[in-house]
Amino acid sequence: MIEIINPAWMSIVVDGGRYGHADIGIPPSSALDMYAYAALCRLLGYSIGMPAIEVMGHDFSLKANIDISCAVTGARIAAFVDSAPVAPWTVFRIKAGSTFRAKEVTEGLRYYLGFSGIIDAERVAGSYTTNIECRFGGYSGRPFLKGDRIILRDVRDARERAVDGSLIPSMKAPHILKIIDGEERDRFSPETMRCLFEKDEDTWYKVSTKTNRTGIRLEGRPLEFRKEVEQSIISEGILPGVVQVPGDGQPIIVLCERTIGGYARIGHVARVDRDLLAHLKPLDKVRFQRVAAGEAERLWKEKIARYYDMLPE
Amino acid sequence: MKWTRYGEDGIRIVFGNAINADVHEKVRQYYFFLKSLDLREIIDIIPSFTTCIIYFNSRLTSFDALASFLREKEKELPAVQIPAPEMHAIPVMYGGQYGPDMEFVCSYAGLAADEVVEIHAGTIYTVFAIGFMPGFPYLGTLDRRLFVPRLETPRLKVNEGSVGIAQFQTGIYSFESPGGWRIIGKTDRRLFNYKEEPYSLMKIGDQVRFIPV
Repeated sequence: MIEIINPAWMSIVVDGGRYGHADIGIPPSSALDMYAYAALCRLLGYSIGMPAIEVMGHDFSLKANIDISCAVTGARIAAFVDSAPVAPWTVFRIKAGSTFRAKEVTEGLRYYLGFSGIIDAERVAGSYTTNIECRFGGYSGRPFLKGDRIILRDVRDARERAVDGSLIPSMKAPHILKIIDGEERDRFSPETMRCLFEKDEDTWYKVSTKTNRTGIRLEGRPLEFRKEVEQSIISEGILPGVVQVPGDGQPIIVLCERTIGGYARIGHVARVDRDLLAHLKPLDKVRFQRVAAGEAERLWKEKIARYYDMLPE
Repeated sequence: MKWTRYGEDGIRIVFGNAINADVHEKVRQYYFFLKSLDLREIIDIIPSFTTCIIYFNSRLTSFDALASFLREKEKELPAVQIPAPEMHAIPVMYGGQYGPDMEFVCSYAGLAADEVVEIHAGTIYTVFAIGFMPGFPYLGTLDRRLFVPRLETPRLKVNEGSVGIAQFQTGIYSFESPGGWRIIGKTDRRLFNYKEEPYSLMKIGDQVRFIPV
């Protein structure tokens, strides 16, 4: 058993996502950095689908009452088991009675924690991940609170090993997001479309403090619609990474908690940059780079070969 | 039908650009056709008013490969079995504490509360889509006399079961959530139960009638 001493800003149970039910409005709610989540599964010897903990914020801590192996991936953190530092993206041991603490997040935003035992979590529609808004899945459908106890099933030994440093991507701001043209891009003024991809630092966007797991709100020069065009659309299906623009012209990057949207779509974040979205934190600078769908596909294949396929077996 | 790539790993099929029963029937037929194929390359399908979005697994297929496979298969489309729509009678408590925007709707539409109820409950609606949250039905189309704009600033909290209207549509909040529709009533019927299948009370194409209680 493991006890949450401090859940930090927010910590929840996640997995590879709840798919196959978007037709009745069930969103994926998956781990936002799927690469870090995949690395965690590999380090601990599980296949994709095992429940893990996604943490946001510093000072997360837990206490183990059994000897167990643990791994952390995702954002770079200064972490300790009691007073001994823990290297990033590694498997390490926690002895019964010891405390794990993530003191500080030094790069990125969300980090992932897993154990050499399966977190006992609620499985809904094929997934353990937490749908916070609807309060189902994961740990009683909610983020962890101080004093929560996590039961681990099928505890076993995990080899101490690490993901090579060259396989840990940069999560540093400013972020450059590659986007593919969106369905309503012609509804924006030519001036806006030009500015959107300008490299001039004055036109970069800033991540809003009103950002959450549903979407990343950006703040900056408002994107202007052409005169006399309809600004909203007939609601339809949306996928993670869609960049929507409401009437106020401030773009929102949709994450994994919505299946239908009604705002104009200026673009789609390319798959190759989707894991990075997990690490956009308030006040980070963001700019966009236009990419064709075919090129995005090639970059994604490159990322699979360069990163995903190189993770330890 | 218009096919386009939707971002990187999506396909968008557009069946028309107006909200009406004919267009939606095509969406619905195509949705059940896609479901009947039961392809492992397809992760999710999102049917709505005028389009069907397919989310595909780019590790197993590509846009070109999947699109051409589906176009080939379309010959079988007319033979697809489509489940008959169900009719759902939804009891609603209108106005008062259950419908905080009833007063606004009355004054905007120039109608008395009982007229709003009569008009809202006097139409049989079609479920055009289910989303943005699990089990939330987008119902249409609303009688023109009840067309009202969304709230300028959405509420941070709309209660579960709230019945709202916005422009040409009406809907029922399946969970407590933020929301910008004008709330005129509330139902006790549960629209989504994650504990057993079918999780959603409604599916696209179903019919809904509101019963004032």
